[in-house]
Amino acid sequence: MTPATGQLRPIDTAAVPPVLEMRGIAKRFGATQALEDVSLTLRPGEIHALLGENGAGKSTLIKIMTGVYQPDRGEIRLAGKPVTVGSAAEGQIHGIAAIYQEPLLFPDLNVAENIFVSHQNRGAVTNWRQMFREAESILASLGVALDVRSPARGLTLAAQQSVEIAKAISLNVRVLIMDEPTASLSAHEVAQLFRLVRDLRSKGVAILFVSHRMEEVFQIADTVTVFRDGRLISTRPAAEVTPQKAIADMVGREMGLFQRRAAAKKGEKLLAVRGLARAGVFEGVSFDVHRGEVLGFAGLIGAGRTDVGLALFGIEPATSGTIELNGAAHVIRSPRQAMALGIAYVSEDRRQLGLSLPMSISANISLPVLARYLSRLGLIRTGEERATAEAFRKRLSIRTPNVDLAVGKLSGGNQQKVMLSKWLNTRPALLILDEPTRGIDVGAKAEVHAMIGELAAEGIGIILISSDLPEVLAMSDRVLVMREGRQMAILDGDSATSQTVMTAAMGQEMAA
Amino acid sequence: MTLPPILRRWEALLLLMLVVIAGLNIVYSPFYLGVGNIVNLFQLSIEKIIVALMMTLIIINGEIDLSVASVMGLSSCVTAYTFHAGWPMGWALTAGLASGAVAGAINGFWIAYVGLPSLAVTLAGLIGYRGVARILVEDRAYGGFPEWFNQLGQQPLLGPLTFSIIIFLAMFVFMAVVLHRSAAGRLVYVMGNNVQAARYSGVRVKRVKLLLFVASGVVAALAGLLYSARLGSVRGDMAVGFELDVITIVLLGGVSIFGGSGNLLGVGLSILVILNLRNGMGLADITGNTQTSVIGALLILSVLVPNMARGLHSKLQGRET
Repeated sequence: MTPATGQLRPIDTAAVPPVLEMRGIAKRFGATQALEDVSLTLRPGEIHALLGENGAGKSTLIKIMTGVYQPDRGEIRLAGKPVTVGSAAEGQIHGIAAIYQEPLLFPDLNVAENIFVSHQNRGAVTNWRQMFREAESILASLGVALDVRSPARGLTLAAQQSVEIAKAISLNVRVLIMDEPTASLSAHEVAQLFRLVRDLRSKGVAILFVSHRMEEVFQIADTVTVFRDGRLISTRPAAEVTPQKAIADMVGREMGLFQRRAAAKKGEKLLAVRGLARAGVFEGVSFDVHRGEVLGFAGLIGAGRTDVGLALFGIEPATSGTIELNGAAHVIRSPRQAMALGIAYVSEDRRQLGLSLPMSISANISLPVLARYLSRLGLIRTGEERATAEAFRKRLSIRTPNVDLAVGKLSGGNQQKVMLSKWLNTRPALLILDEPTRGIDVGAKAEVHAMIGELAAEGIGIILISSDLPEVLAMSDRVLVMREGRQMAILDGDSATSQTVMTAAMGQEMAA
Repeated sequence: MTLPPILRRWEALLLLMLVVIAGLNIVYSPFYLGVGNIVNLFQLSIEKIIVALMMTLIIINGEIDLSVASVMGLSSCVTAYTFHAGWPMGWALTAGLASGAVAGAINGFWIAYVGLPSLAVTLAGLIGYRGVARILVEDRAYGGFPEWFNQLGQQPLLGPLTFSIIIFLAMFVFMAVVLHRSAAGRLVYVMGNNVQAARYSGVRVKRVKLLLFVASGVVAALAGLLYSARLGSVRGDMAVGFELDVITIVLLGGVSIFGGSGNLLGVGLSILVILNLRNGMGLADITGNTQTSVIGALLILSVLVPNMARGLHSKLQGRET
């Protein structure tokens, strides 16, 4: 039970007494030791980043802080006094609030109502004018311009995050936990969010920041703590850590941040798209994809990259323009037709659009080509189905006790691998990957990257849609940049740098 | 503290209920175990349990069909009407089945292709198809069907089994194979779990939904005709309210009203539980109204218990050392 924060402390805030201390926290679920003797200290005015692969124990720690789980051992001290946090409501009373990747707003309530929803203790009749005024003043203090009377439905994700932050402030939050708040935001929105976060820091709020995006962590954090396998590996001032060092702590081995993929031999032309458009969504998109080539799609969220993918896959068909596959023109109207032409689309949203979570791994993998597994009587040959799943499990090293397990029970990275398996099983000629590494841990990310390289080397043409700029640059032979539904540029491997891509994505003039 | 997985399943609980009820019935009634009583027990609700088999697929698919009882009435009335208009009985029966297919196709069109909620569409169907049935036969009761038709509903055909019971048993096996072993059954589950993921996987979700509702219409029509054969006459208000009993059976069988989960074994057990419960209470001279209340209480339990168990389970997960 000795306080085990033996590591170096942040220099600038070390003198300030901690607001929240976790001491010797342990938590076990069944056979899994989710947390083992974890001690973490949060100080006012500190942005404390939490790093670790999925399953390292970050979420469990957050849930203990917010009162969702109770620790088996250890104590929580708030401003020096031991407390128990029995529920999320108690957490709020202590001034502990959490913001998640997907904001949890009520879509039909207006912004002000959402801000005050958990403490609308205002008598029997709501004083709307006062509520609007208070909401406005909170948002103004954050420098956010939002109509407090408009419903939350239709706000951008970034605006929704701002509302969540305003809600936290209205609760007089002392500790704000941000669990992957940037995962769905574009670069511009991230910058905006970070301004807010820094503002909170200057107001003395302690911020626990969880993210998989290394560059963001080092951009904003004062202190970096790394978890691995339920243990706290290191806590150091951000200035003393490099991304490579942090990753080494996370995975327990040194590892390159992103290895640039060796360019594969470019084969013959597979796909030729000319002047593709969907009315009101995107227009003027023209590009080629060759066999064995990775064409990156870069741009901010909402630039229309996913919409181009959906048009090619027939989910939301294009309204004009031409698509040629192997020299023959096709009008693609349905996913079925696209699949028959050898196109596969791996959706960015694996939970909503990609997988049937309660169903088994093998049933998910066979779904698009179920006809292949039917006996003459029309019954599913489950043995063969399972054999396919087993083969993919080995090939993509999907970590699961067996392929009959429900996909929903796997970690994010392994779910992503199942989804990749599902589409590789259709034996595509053209593979469209939409954010294939979003929200998965570093190890799984590296495996997906290796897989992309292998598939290209096998002669598959790949369209890689990704908001992770280093990823696009490392993996792509060429990069197509979109902005607000228009194609801005196609950059060759060498001319594609984070500078040139961001310049195009932000709509600056390109030198010809 | 924790139960082994097999006992945590809803089917295990149903089986337990069945054993208890059957046990009580055996103790309290000397007639219960007679072949005649067992056949009778099935025969009295045979149409509902046939429809329940198809309803299982509809609910697993994430939809509901409230119009089944009205379609039963519609098919009977179409058959009676055309037969009395001079059609041969064979053609009149075909017309009855066809009316079910048409009613199902209308439901399916609005639900699958226009995207309206099945609760609203089939509620409209419940009212509309009943209306058509009543218009056809007005306030009369049509009887006078050929002798073979009436016998089909009553006489044992194979050992003690009637035609309807044979149809039910065959359909049970067929549906179990379809739902749990065929591609169609797989799609029913996938769509019930996540219709968008199904669509993104190239499943023709609209077509599957339309076909499901057509099948539901045909099965309900068939059940309606079996009901006419059993009663020997047809009226406009035949089978009114049956849809609630049918849905009760399915939900008590552990099929989630939200779609995506449940199986035919559970529904089979649920059928046995409800039939034996009604039969036992009947033999014990408990009135129909009381029987209905008991079954209502069971249904509430069937929705409550799994939810409470899940809540308790996650609480334990959160707090257990």
